[in-house]
Amino acid sequence: MEAWVVATGLIFVYLLATIVLGILANRRTSIDMEDFLLYGRKAGFIVLYLTVVATFHSAFAFLGSGGFFYTHGIGFWAAGTWTVLVGAITYVLGPRIWALGKAFGYMTPADMLADYYESEAVRVAVAVVSVVFTILYIQVQAQGLGYIINVASDGRISFEMGTLILLAVAAAYLMAGGLRAVYWTDVIQGIWMYVAVWVGAMYLAYELFGGPFELWRQVRAQRPDLLSLPGPHGFFTPGMWIGMTITLSFGIVFQPHMMIRYYTAIDARTLKILGATTPIYLMTLYIPAALVGLGGAIAMPGLDIPDRIFPELLFAHAPPILTGVILAGATAAAMSTLDSILHANMTVLTRDVYQRYFAPDATQAHYVAVGRGIVLALLFVGYVLSIRTYDFLVVLVTLSGSGALQLMPAIVGALFPGGRRLTRAGILAGLGTGLFVLYVTLLVVPHPLGTHGGIWSLLANTLVAVAVSAVTAPPSPETQKRIHGEVERQVYGSAS
Amino acid sequence: MTEPPPTDLPTSHWIPRTRDGRVATIAFVLLFLLAMPPVTHGVLNRVDLWLGGIPFLFVALLVVYCALIGVLVWALRRGV
Repeated sequence: MEAWVVATGLIFVYLLATIVLGILANRRTSIDMEDFLLYGRKAGFIVLYLTVVATFHSAFAFLGSGGFFYTHGIGFWAAGTWTVLVGAITYVLGPRIWALGKAFGYMTPADMLADYYESEAVRVAVAVVSVVFTILYIQVQAQGLGYIINVASDGRISFEMGTLILLAVAAAYLMAGGLRAVYWTDVIQGIWMYVAVWVGAMYLAYELFGGPFELWRQVRAQRPDLLSLPGPHGFFTPGMWIGMTITLSFGIVFQPHMMIRYYTAIDARTLKILGATTPIYLMTLYIPAALVGLGGAIAMPGLDIPDRIFPELLFAHAPPILTGVILAGATAAAMSTLDSILHANMTVLTRDVYQRYFAPDATQAHYVAVGRGIVLALLFVGYVLSIRTYDFLVVLVTLSGSGALQLMPAIVGALFPGGRRLTRAGILAGLGTGLFVLYVTLLVVPHPLGTHGGIWSLLANTLVAVAVSAVTAPPSPETQKRIHGEVERQVYGSAS
Repeated sequence: MTEPPPTDLPTSHWIPRTRDGRVATIAFVLLFLLAMPPVTHGVLNRVDLWLGGIPFLFVALLVVYCALIGVLVWALRRGV
């Protein structure tokens, strides 16, 4: 049987499995916003673990990381720093966010921040940042999916058709089973992609070099420039190393599809266990990526699009069945992020916009129906964005990785009693400044002084937030006491 | 203008209150600095040095990452 038939067939088997899970989830879902949008706040460790790791690692981790090692060398092993930091952030902030969500019924990041800063303007600003900077990830993931299925089918399924099929499947199981369907499919996706990357990388290492140690030896002999910092193109400067560490940890955790997961845990201890153990999965996924990228630089030099190194090596050197399994794993990596972003945008638009400003007193069934309608609209928007290229989208995608990072001062101010008290005016001024500086330092003068634009924007944001907060009114004592008292109870067991 | 902070708010969460909390925080920060410049670009950036057939930079960072995870697991077991 030809390779493309096996590869495409396995991807469709995988898609069928996700639809079946969506249908099963639908049977367990009740017409209730907390159940549909937040898994009823009952997610246990295993489900939460696999959905967090699968969501964190997107098509980029599966394909792009190999491309990064291929182009810039061993410096991408910096990935370990941000994946470990994600664990620490989850350990420290996760239980606090969970406790506030449980106590005050929060469903979105904007719920929490608007309540603490007593401001509808903060709610709108956070909701806008949440949606604008993540809706573009729909485009990124959908394009990745279209590319994967196009490659797997050897061009027989067009990029546009592949994108539409995979977007439609993700939207279908999300509409059927809400977050429960997303979590259940993420369990498969999380396992599948981890096994696929390791098996694929080890197979290629033995097939092409006789093993990973010989692979390393060949890289040292032929491309020693790939084994030192800052790499052959000088990319991994100290400033970029630090910038990527901050941006790809805090910047991703503060995106709504990750923060909402903290609300869904069954208890705070589950989140602490999650924080301590997720880096094991997240970090070790980059070990096979290093083998693929660095080995690929020796075995298949000169690729026009380095991100294609993994599938190109598989089609050239692996048996069709293995190639199919691994490309289905790549599909899983992209879909597990895509469905989570669709869900987060649905939740933010339903909760922070529709329920708040258009129909505050409707029934639970009404909001669930509206949420499903929003998924359909997002499906349409995501598809159009994926198959068309607009200049302003290129700009926004460049900014999107660091966009959610601008919520950091607001989130830290709400979750950490003590220190300088930030105010609503300070938060809004800092957010506006941070986004402006982000635009300048990523697009006008990219990464000044070799330091990632995300760092410059966060510095400017924080300085302005603190300065403006020094001369404006903080949240009322009652609100500070209510929210920080709940944090105190969660962390230390009693309100002081 | 700013108001004086209410007197009955929780005390600061910026400094750990327990010994285990302080140990975990200091250990994590110190280890994390080993995976950051200038250590990475200066001390660990040795193309000539290999450990077990793998570049020293890769192995050293892997050890640091594992130690960081170890700190998180230790904190969890100690109830920090």
